[in-house]
Amino acid sequence: MLAERIAEQARSGYPFEVCGVLVGEDRTVRQVVPVVNRESESPRVRYQIAPEDLIRIQREARESGREILGYYHSHPDHPARPSETDRRVAAEGLSDDVIHVVVGVAEGDRTEATAWVFHDRDQAFAEEPFDII
Amino acid sequence: MSIKVQIPSPLRSLTGGAQEVQLEAGDVSSLIEGLESRHHGLKEKLVDPDGNLRSYVRIFVNDEDVRFLDDKATALKAGDTVAIVPAIAGGTGA
Repeated sequence: MLAERIAEQARSGYPFEVCGVLVGEDRTVRQVVPVVNRESESPRVRYQIAPEDLIRIQREARESGREILGYYHSHPDHPARPSETDRRVAAEGLSDDVIHVVVGVAEGDRTEATAWVFHDRDQAFAEEPFDII
Repeated sequence: MSIKVQIPSPLRSLTGGAQEVQLEAGDVSSLIEGLESRHHGLKEKLVDPDGNLRSYVRIFVNDEDVRFLDDKATALKAGDTVAIVPAIAGGTGA
């Protein structure tokens, strides 16, 4: 199950933030692709996905008729919702209509996942109901 | 043969939904101008008011980051593939 794969990655990566890419089609995530958190200075509280990883994942997705729909990352011992840093970076970047899943992981064990979509028009994330398939 | 430009989903509202755009250009700078002339609004997403590539945007030519080539002056030739890739980051810390 995709959601459990993300949760397991969040637990095993604790106390550091983990991250990855959501791949699918028609707003349905079919695949989660874990990537290395490239944040070198503060990986407990920050994450960064290397553009080189995105290029590779984008190519592989296209070859299978899919595309990058969004991203996920964990918040160790923090709430499962986008932080102000998440919002600010998304607002500065290319994030319109992109899905972000945020996984809170408490004490390396209990996980909670929420899904959000960033809207340029509001400069904010809106929580998005999601089904686990 | 022209240059293929892969458009990330957040910019497709500016390209009428197109995932890929083909055009001719001699370097990255003229490619951006060409994109802007066809799809108004793209340029400001890619470069800042000073004309520099925005820090959260990466442009790859045949899988090479132009920051490690000649940046906006990176030469292009027919058949090249250009990918526009967002820089993704965040987290709980400031």
